[in-house]
Amino acid sequence: MTRAPWTLVEADRFDAGRADRALAYWSPDGRFALYNDYRTGQSFLVSDPGPIPDQGPPSWWARGAGPARPFSLADPAPVEGYGVFTFPYGPVSLGVAESGRFDLRTYGERILAVTPIGGFKSRRLRAGLAGLSLADAGLRIERTVGNFAAAHVAAFLAAAESAVGAEVPLEELWVRAFAQELQRIYNHLHVIARIAEAANQNVGSAQAHALAEEMVRFQGRVFGHRWLFGALLPGGPARRLGSEDRRAIPGFLTGHEQAFDRLWSLFLESRTFIDRIQATAPVPRDRAVRLGGVGPTLRASGVAWDDRLRVPHAPYTDLFLTLPQESAGDALARVLVRVQEIRASFSLLEQLLERWPSNGAVGTPDPPIAPGRGLARVEAPSGDLVYDVTVRAGRVDQVGVRTASQANFPLLAEGLRDQVFTDFHFAYESFGLVFAETDG
Amino acid sequence: MSVDLAGALLTAAIAGLFAGAPLAVVRRSAGYATTLVASLLLLVVAADALRVGSVTGVAWTGPLGDPESLSLDGLSAFFALAASVVWAGTSAYSLAYDTRSSPLLPICYAVTLGAIALLVAATNWFLFLVGWETMTLASYGMILQARGRPGRVFSASFVFLAFGEASTLFVIVAVAGLRVGTGSFVQLPYLATGAVATLVFVAALIGFGLKMGVAPFHMSEWLPIAHSSAPSNASAVLSATLTLAGAYGLFRVLSLLAAPPLWWGALVLGIGAVSVLLGALFAAVSEHTKGLPAYSTIENNGLILVALGSALLAQAEGLTALYAFALFAAFYQAIAHAVAKTALFLSAGYVEHSTGTFDLGAIEGGFKRTDGAAYAGSVAATLSLAAAPPLAGFVSEWMILEALFQSYRFRPEWVQFVGLLAGAAVALAAGLILVAMTKYLGFSLLWSPASRGPQGRSALLGGVLGALGAVILGLGVAAPWVLEMLAPTVSAFARAPIAVPVGQLLSVPNGWSILSGAPFGILSPPVVPIALSIGAAVGAGYWLLGRAGRRRVPVWMAGSAPARTDETYTSFGFSSGIRIMMRSVLQTREVRASTPSGTTAEFAGAVPYSVDLEVLDVFKVFYDGLVSGGARFSTALKTAIMPGRPGRYLAYILIVTLVVVIYTAAVG
Amino acid sequence: MSTWLEASVRRGILTTRYPASAATADEVPATGRGPRARPGASGGAALADACPVGAIGPETLDQGRCIRCARCLPRGFDFSGPVEASTTDRAALLEPRAAPPLRTADSEAPLRPFSRSLHVFLVDVGSCNACNLEVLALANPYYDSQRLGIFFTNSPRHADVLLVVGVPTPEMAEPLRRAFEALPGPKAVVAVGACPISGGVFRGNPDLTPSLADLVPVDVFVPGCPPTPLGVLDGILRAAGRARREAVP
Repeated sequence: MTRAPWTLVEADRFDAGRADRALAYWSPDGRFALYNDYRTGQSFLVSDPGPIPDQGPPSWWARGAGPARPFSLADPAPVEGYGVFTFPYGPVSLGVAESGRFDLRTYGERILAVTPIGGFKSRRLRAGLAGLSLADAGLRIERTVGNFAAAHVAAFLAAAESAVGAEVPLEELWVRAFAQELQRIYNHLHVIARIAEAANQNVGSAQAHALAEEMVRFQGRVFGHRWLFGALLPGGPARRLGSEDRRAIPGFLTGHEQAFDRLWSLFLESRTFIDRIQATAPVPRDRAVRLGGVGPTLRASGVAWDDRLRVPHAPYTDLFLTLPQESAGDALARVLVRVQEIRASFSLLEQLLERWPSNGAVGTPDPPIAPGRGLARVEAPSGDLVYDVTVRAGRVDQVGVRTASQANFPLLAEGLRDQVFTDFHFAYESFGLVFAETDG
Repeated sequence: MSVDLAGALLTAAIAGLFAGAPLAVVRRSAGYATTLVASLLLLVVAADALRVGSVTGVAWTGPLGDPESLSLDGLSAFFALAASVVWAGTSAYSLAYDTRSSPLLPICYAVTLGAIALLVAATNWFLFLVGWETMTLASYGMILQARGRPGRVFSASFVFLAFGEASTLFVIVAVAGLRVGTGSFVQLPYLATGAVATLVFVAALIGFGLKMGVAPFHMSEWLPIAHSSAPSNASAVLSATLTLAGAYGLFRVLSLLAAPPLWWGALVLGIGAVSVLLGALFAAVSEHTKGLPAYSTIENNGLILVALGSALLAQAEGLTALYAFALFAAFYQAIAHAVAKTALFLSAGYVEHSTGTFDLGAIEGGFKRTDGAAYAGSVAATLSLAAAPPLAGFVSEWMILEALFQSYRFRPEWVQFVGLLAGAAVALAAGLILVAMTKYLGFSLLWSPASRGPQGRSALLGGVLGALGAVILGLGVAAPWVLEMLAPTVSAFARAPIAVPVGQLLSVPNGWSILSGAPFGILSPPVVPIALSIGAAVGAGYWLLGRAGRRRVPVWMAGSAPARTDETYTSFGFSSGIRIMMRSVLQTREVRASTPSGTTAEFAGAVPYSVDLEVLDVFKVFYDGLVSGGARFSTALKTAIMPGRPGRYLAYILIVTLVVVIYTAAVG
Repeated sequence: MSTWLEASVRRGILTTRYPASAATADEVPATGRGPRARPGASGGAALADACPVGAIGPETLDQGRCIRCARCLPRGFDFSGPVEASTTDRAALLEPRAAPPLRTADSEAPLRPFSRSLHVFLVDVGSCNACNLEVLALANPYYDSQRLGIFFTNSPRHADVLLVVGVPTPEMAEPLRRAFEALPGPKAVVAVGACPISGGVFRGNPDLTPSLADLVPVDVFVPGCPPTPLGVLDGILRAAGRARREAVP
């Protein structure tokens, strides 16, 4: 199927301001813009939209690519008042486990506004990619965020393949999807475990962490590396899932899913756990759309968008997926969406194994958006991930990225408004954000 | 000192205080110097009066035929002593710092002092009333403002005057009751029980309570101080000595009445407990360098009433040991508070002098490193109010709590319950006042490199504050001997000899320990600093020995640079937890101005909006309603009766003429 | 109705016995061990292009550079290094290819041992989050570092060991220095992963400092990309002077 996952339109014929339309990507050279329409479920690619606006969602994404560091990841309106002061939290804070800072405006106890500040751990990724082979670039791409390695590599390779028009064996696409779903399960388990830890549900958190560890060990057994580094790269000695391996897998997956179901039913019975995340850090639907949110956070606020359904690549075009969705937009909704996604991923893994392609079948890449330039989107565990890759003479020339964390930090700022200090960790963990993918 | 000399000095002291007024007209510093000398004189006389039992000054016959005199017995000597310590401090402070206030201030200051001395030394209720009203008017003059502050219904000084006159009204009722009961204006005991005694008690409690600033009248204390620009010497006098005058009046009235029924003590205890809690709570959330100590005054006067209430309950139940102990606690608390509050207001005045603001949030350390004595005195005062050992406030808090712990001795259960609740309130308030004083100490007193220096003679201020700090420490450490000195006071109040609750514990020498019951609890105040010193010496030794391996590093700010001044916790933020936790009592509200459609700027120029967290004194709502209701009623009445139409007035004249004609005709 | 207690008992004990017993294959997959040259591996300069980070030299193999990409496997290498791969000496990570050293109890100078409990503070100076997750995994029931007296603290003031992950970025130089200064002595610094040891795969990127040892004194180096939790545990124990001593040929 060569259906392009977007509709190409011209800038003057596209009404970007219509309600329920959100910007998904703006290329750094200003030649392309990608929009989602949440009412119709369509995606639009606008050519030559003009210069990047200096305020609003695109400017937040652009900061990671610029030279100024550190930079703010969201711009809440300034707050004044008697006794209001700025409380800097970070960049080294074990509660957050990564390096990033939050400037909290408060009069003591209540968070009036929060400015997340990133760029502390920028490894200058994009600058290091020019001129590399796809395999070498892939080594760096998969280390953008270790626990999202499969998604980043899948998006990067899909964009590069679309840029050169390469036909990829279907089995390769199946392996990429398999890897992504495994990592999705791990990441959602990890988020649930961290929230439970913040809620002092020590037994539940330990059990969830144990399940997450089992998934990582499984990944290590199947792919040879706990975080799938090197497993999906072209020319790399990746472990291919032979038929022997595939027979052994379902036993583990079934057992894991049952263990998760038991664990989650215990969590649901824990009144203290539910109380602490219910009504915490709510993000209303209109704000989530307006701020450009993506991923489980967007789905928890009532927007029916998942890349695997709306802009699917093979093999997702052939798989059955129930859209995980909630409407309350609070931390509980985000957790519930993740639970639904875990169950959906188990189902997808089963479907992938059942429909494993025969040797030799190839897939067709998406059409390029310009000669030598491809665009690809995947649903990473944190949300919609866009890669825009220009290939010249078999080597990477330019890479543009918009990650889910870049899009969702403003939703964190919105959700944390008027929360109390003690709810900070729940709120932060429930968004599932990673500082490592906010900067280039 | 021979009786005549002492009496003459007493008269001279009181006259000298009044004399400060005309001298202040000539030259401000002359007035203050006169009051300084006069109050030191009064101090000496009062101490002597405590030693010998009484001092009588000039005597004459009053306009109503009653004998009047100025004299100090055990009870009034104590209050005169406490007041004169305060006045000496404030007069010395005024000499150094009061160079800019209006000329009215020193005149009214001297008159206030004289009036209070007069009412304390008066043995005739009429003279007492003269002194009382003069005190009210003169202190009104001290804090007089030309017009009300914008946004307020009435100016702070007017509120003060209104409450002050209400207080006088009730005191007059009480005096009238006593006049009816005893047949004369002389301060004689009235031992009958019945409606008159109850009327006297209730009127005195309300009248003197208004002056002490206890709940539900606490607005009379905090509003004039926090919302006027009353200079520090005025604030110290208002807070420390006006309330002391109120306490004196209440004690005097109670000393003249017979053994009280249980409900008197319970009422006093209840009012005191509520004041303690309210005062501490509002102090903890106050951001005003004068408002916070004003609320603390409310709390401390509440403590005096709590002790007094326990004493009255014990008296009604016949528990003589507890009665004595609680009385000693009440008087000790009174003097501990007077000295500490004076020092606190003087240091607040100094901080305001050097930083120009009353706002705790705007101050970054008020003292310079060289102001050693002033700083030490201020810290001692703050810690004493926070009941930290080995200071006076610690001993008084201990004594009051010990008295409340013994509520189980009361036989009726409802009395035990009242004592229990009062104890819980006092304990909770102790925690809250600790927050308040920590905030005050941390944000206004602590030295920081940004402090500007004093402007004026800081040596004098250092001397005053250092002396007051030494007094606070001395009162605390030498508490058993202070109690011995207070024996005449307590005996004068009880009109019977009272044993001092001082005794022996183990190997501590006799007379070094305070006993709170027979047996119940014991505290040895002189031993506390010894124990603290041993601990401090161990710590100091450890510190000295470890100096070699020690490194200095900046405070860990999660990897960020050391905090800039706008990134540290403000004093407001420090107590916001209490504002939010106690939001139902404090009626905490968030006020937002110019809120945009959402907090995140709509991708356009970000408009700053403001959020303010405000608290409210619910009693003020009541008074505001009372006042505006009264104003509306009187306007309505006026409009109804005097509409300004000549026809109506003519009708009035006609009716009255008719009535008079008919009446005269009927009678004649 | 099931309860947490019931669920826990049914799960049973998951915790590894390491370091009392050796690590299992389940705990340490192939890429959890460092690369070693197989006996028939070709030598010479031709191998320079087998490694994207230049870990393979003509005669040497730099464990501190290896990012576990497995590209050298078809050229005669395998992942058969020891689990206890951490060293106190950076130079010891540069192994001669033909005869990799035996790690015995005597082969290293002992660090000042921390008796009883050890408090660890984690600083991320520029990682991809994989090392962070492996370090945090030490708190999950499978590894349970607390049974060994190893605790993670929220403040460097309470820590004995500074655990650093990631390749040092210019923006994290000052926070790292502040964290290091804030640790009271005696203290140890453990560099976890290829990134702080040699810059990892980001070695050539602009502005970065590819060696943590240029910023703070490093006491223990833990190679890997990322090292498995047991590898990290070995590094922490080595800083405490009680690493598992296993001679591996």
